[in-house]
Amino acid sequence: MLKSILRGWKSQGYLDGIQLLRNRSTFFMYAFSELILATASVSGMVLLASKFGGIGVWSRTDIFFLLGYALTVDSLLEMFFGYNIRNISRRIGRGQLDHLLVQPRPLWIALFTEGFSPFSVFLRLIPGGVLIGWAITQKPIEISPMWWGWFALNIVASVGVVLGYSFAWGSLAFWSPRGAEEICSSISRMFGQLQIFPLNGLGIITGGLLTILPIGFMAWFPARTLLTVPLYPQSLLITPIVSLCFLGLGLVSFVRGLAHYGRTGSQRYLDHGHRR
Amino acid sequence: MDTVVSLHNVCKTFRQKQPSKSGGLFSNLIRPEIREVHALQNVSLEVNRGEIVAYAGPNGAGKSTTVKMLSGMLAPDSGTVRALGLDPIHDRVKYVGKIGVVFGQRTELWWDMPVSASFEWKRAIWDVPQERYTRMLKTVKELLGLEPYFHSLVRELSLGQRMSADLGLALLHEPEILFLDEPTLGLDVLAKRSMLQFIKEINRERQVTVMITSHNMVELEQLAGRVVLINAGQIAFDGDFTKLRQTFSDKRHLMIETRTEVAPVFEEAQLLRSEAGRHNYVFDAAKVDLITLIQSASRQGEVLDVETQRAPIDDVFAEIYTQMSQIETVDPLISTISLK
Repeated sequence: MLKSILRGWKSQGYLDGIQLLRNRSTFFMYAFSELILATASVSGMVLLASKFGGIGVWSRTDIFFLLGYALTVDSLLEMFFGYNIRNISRRIGRGQLDHLLVQPRPLWIALFTEGFSPFSVFLRLIPGGVLIGWAITQKPIEISPMWWGWFALNIVASVGVVLGYSFAWGSLAFWSPRGAEEICSSISRMFGQLQIFPLNGLGIITGGLLTILPIGFMAWFPARTLLTVPLYPQSLLITPIVSLCFLGLGLVSFVRGLAHYGRTGSQRYLDHGHRR
Repeated sequence: MDTVVSLHNVCKTFRQKQPSKSGGLFSNLIRPEIREVHALQNVSLEVNRGEIVAYAGPNGAGKSTTVKMLSGMLAPDSGTVRALGLDPIHDRVKYVGKIGVVFGQRTELWWDMPVSASFEWKRAIWDVPQERYTRMLKTVKELLGLEPYFHSLVRELSLGQRMSADLGLALLHEPEILFLDEPTLGLDVLAKRSMLQFIKEINRERQVTVMITSHNMVELEQLAGRVVLINAGQIAFDGDFTKLRQTFSDKRHLMIETRTEVAPVFEEAQLLRSEAGRHNYVFDAAKVDLITLIQSASRQGEVLDVETQRAPIDDVFAEIYTQMSQIETVDPLISTISLK
């Protein structure tokens, strides 16, 4: 199994590499645009936090850490679940799951590895890394190997939250291929727009149900707990637990949808967006 | 005989929501009409190792549904589907490693990559041993003429080149069975010819079992020794092309040239056109033989020349499909019910 995953990553990495490293101009244009896009997605909040020395109870340093965390999660999602794996409703809705079903490997391994695009996304990690690096040098918290362990676990958990949520909703495309084809891109937009905000002080309905669950777990909640480790160490487990719940929900929805797909097959096939 | 594909009493019904014909705009939300399409009805079929089987039928007959079932993409409602001793759905991972699938309307090639990258990718994902990869790559490159564009981007290829590359890719792991769903769709004459030649060659040299669907009956007749005709989800015929012609109608074209411009009259042949003493007829060889017609023509006037030829296979299929659609009108297989 591990061999199959590594083989999948290796072959996808190879494809990604030859696409990006085709020639110098392609490489530089791609690299710069990725860098600019990643920076632009958080620049508004960086400017606001710099101008006002923070937002609400969040200091400027806290905000920078939050933004760095959000950018890292987003970049890792793109790096490991690109090629419309994150936006699974597109693959399902366009009938492109058939491409995976003719491969002699378990479907979950195909889904887990086929979106791997390390070369085209790694530059996106830089702005996030810079923001996190700067923030932790400014914060009076003890940065130990244990803290880095919690940080890595929470980052992976946040990736899981977004992925589980996308698969849960995206599985609707099994039943309504055309109607739900773009549901995951709406989810990505929703996360993209709200992930950079500190969500403190919201009510149960607006804050609790509509934003914090799940968007708050992409960056806000884990960033807050990582910055207050000495006070509430047990809260570092909350994001991983939430992540397992969302991944479970996504898995159940997808498996049910797949059983439906086995009965109905794809009634509609669009080639764009998969192999392109 | 080694049976590699076996379908036994396979049924498949699709339910499609239809816009309401009777109700208003919002009635679809409350009581949508459901149309049941019986894609396959008690289909039983066996294919032996090394056979090339043409799987033919009009649009919507159930060809692609069968190929999808045999490719592990679709489960039957009832009946059993077995291939290479495996269940394509439950043993999917093991099974798809032994088959190759080409859909004419889709590509398994990576669009923005060189053709070579898709082949490398397949080698890794299918875990093709290096020796086999090298050998098969050499074979498909030679037979399909892939070398000139092997390092070109897939999106820059012509349709014929792309289909050839897709076919080469499908064979890279040396499959035992090859399912081809309209592989020559949109190809020019030369590309079709080289593809058919290639399929024949790999069948002959490697005993690859081939099941091919196409609307081009001429190429199916050139390629396959056996034709399975499916219509409205049921197998209407299973045998060779000669038997097919004999079973449905063995239509022949006859041209008789006479000294006078008056066309000979036959009860058993239909006059198509008559011009400058050359008279063209069509007749059913199963009902009347050629000698009888020529003798009858000689009795009616002086015969200068005679030419005869079999009706093109396309015409045979066109007539068969027409006959089938008339049967369908009497006994519709598509029923409309209302969802309660």
